Amino acid sequence: MSQAVAQVVAALAFAGLAAVLAARLGLGLGREIVVAAARATAQLAVVGGLIAAVFRVPELAVAFVALMVLAAAITAGGRLRTIAGSRRLAAAAIAGPALAATGLLLAVGAFEAAPRAIVPTAGILIGGAMAATTLTGRRLLEGLRDEQDVIETRLALGDDVRTALRPTIRTAMVTGLVPAIDQTRSVGLVTLPGTFVGLVLGGASPATAARVQLVVLLALLAVELLAALVISEAIRRRVTAPGERVVVPPAG
Amino acid sequence: MRLARDGRTVLDGAQLRVPPGEVTALIAPSGAGKSSLLRCVVRLLAPDAGAISLDGVPVADLDPRALRRRVGLVAQTPVMLPGTVRNNLAYGLDAPLSSAAAHDALRAAGLDATFHDRDAHALSGGERARVAIARALVRRPEALLLDEPTAALDHDVALLVVDALRALADGGLAVCLATHDLPLARRVADRCVALDGSAA
Ligand SMILES: Nc1ncnc2c1ncn2[C@@H]1O[C@H](COP(=O)(O)OP(=O)(O)OP(=O)(O)O)[C@@H](O)[C@H]1O
Ligand SMILES: [Mg+2]
Repeated sequence: MSQAVAQVVAALAFAGLAAVLAARLGLGLGREIVVAAARATAQLAVVGGLIAAVFRVPELAVAFVALMVLAAAITAGGRLRTIAGSRRLAAAAIAGPALAATGLLLAVGAFEAAPRAIVPTAGILIGGAMAATTLTGRRLLEGLRDEQDVIETRLALGDDVRTALRPTIRTAMVTGLVPAIDQTRSVGLVTLPGTFVGLVLGGASPATAARVQLVVLLALLAVELLAALVISEAIRRRVTAPGERVVVPPAG
Repeated sequence: MRLARDGRTVLDGAQLRVPPGEVTALIAPSGAGKSSLLRCVVRLLAPDAGAISLDGVPVADLDPRALRRRVGLVAQTPVMLPGTVRNNLAYGLDAPLSSAAAHDALRAAGLDATFHDRDAHALSGGERARVAIARALVRRPEALLLDEPTAALDHDVALLVVDALRALADGGLAVCLATHDLPLARRVADRCVALDGSAA
């Protein structure tokens, strides 16, 4: 208990120090720092309480994962909103691969089938799928506009739409996957990712933490690749018009 | 035929006939819809109303890929695909392209055989325009639609290219040339059709 008190006191002291320093230096940030600290306290208290409830009641865990998918789909879909029904497409690209991978990891017994394991695993995979969906989708929409002349040339030379768009889709998928690949190969050298840090702070041995982190990272590679593939295919279908024609969505 | 793009009427009441063995010039000011009309013919755009047919068959009833093999379109800003000129000529062909056929097409477009192995992205604008024509010709089309093919060419080369088009038409090809260069059109075309741009 005394450690909990010490944590709260130390945290508040740091926020107070930052606020006082900012005021002394005339940065005009004092108020903002206080507000940000108060918000963080409130938000984490709520999430902490919510997660505690989620860990106790499995039905809540399902609802919580669904909520994460919804939030991710709204975020990614908003970034692709020049495509009709972008949120639904993003939901498919995110939920399909992320939930399938979570299910697979549980099925083979890599994690215990308890909310305590399911919720964070699904959360990380959903977050990765969201990033890959947004990046790939945005790059593809840009490519469709920038490469309009090349695409039209390929079509005029007798390509079907699938063939004519292949180079554009390939570039978009590569762009979408670069962060996942870089994160995987630089792990431990540039950053200690959240799963590892969290497990070690929670009392797990570094070896266990490293093993779990590896599973998550490698699962992310497959999940993000699949998410990039699903969103690319969905966008390709949306821009394909009858008569082997491409209708490029407006910019924005 | 009639076509709207982004809700604005671009073409309204446009009419055009391109018979085999003739050069038909499509003359219109900038923005009148020449490029749009040519795209409609090969179904890269879908008109809102009207009829376009090839040999009496509506193009909408033809398989788009077969249509695009029978009707070659040389775009206003010709795009070179990656690789050599040869790669460009052979792009997407079902059968391998013989060197003789490639050379014939290059010559018909006013280029000599030395271009065959050049990097397509290292060509001048005028050379690209002619490679684009050759690329359409190796497909042995029945009709060739050219969108301002001489815009990037100096006067002498432009004459070379239009004379080459004339020779192709004399060989039985249906040639349609969109341009705003009236003197050039007069020199080469059997018929000039004006698109007044009033719809745009
Ligand atoms: N992708 C597009 N989306 C919407 N409108 C377009 C698009 N491309 C062209 N337009 C419009 O359609 C009209 C006709 O354009 P088009 O390119 O067919 O004219 P053009 O006769 O070929 O002109 P130019 O001689 O300058 O090449 C123009 O008003 C143009 O602004
Ligand atoms: Mg034009």
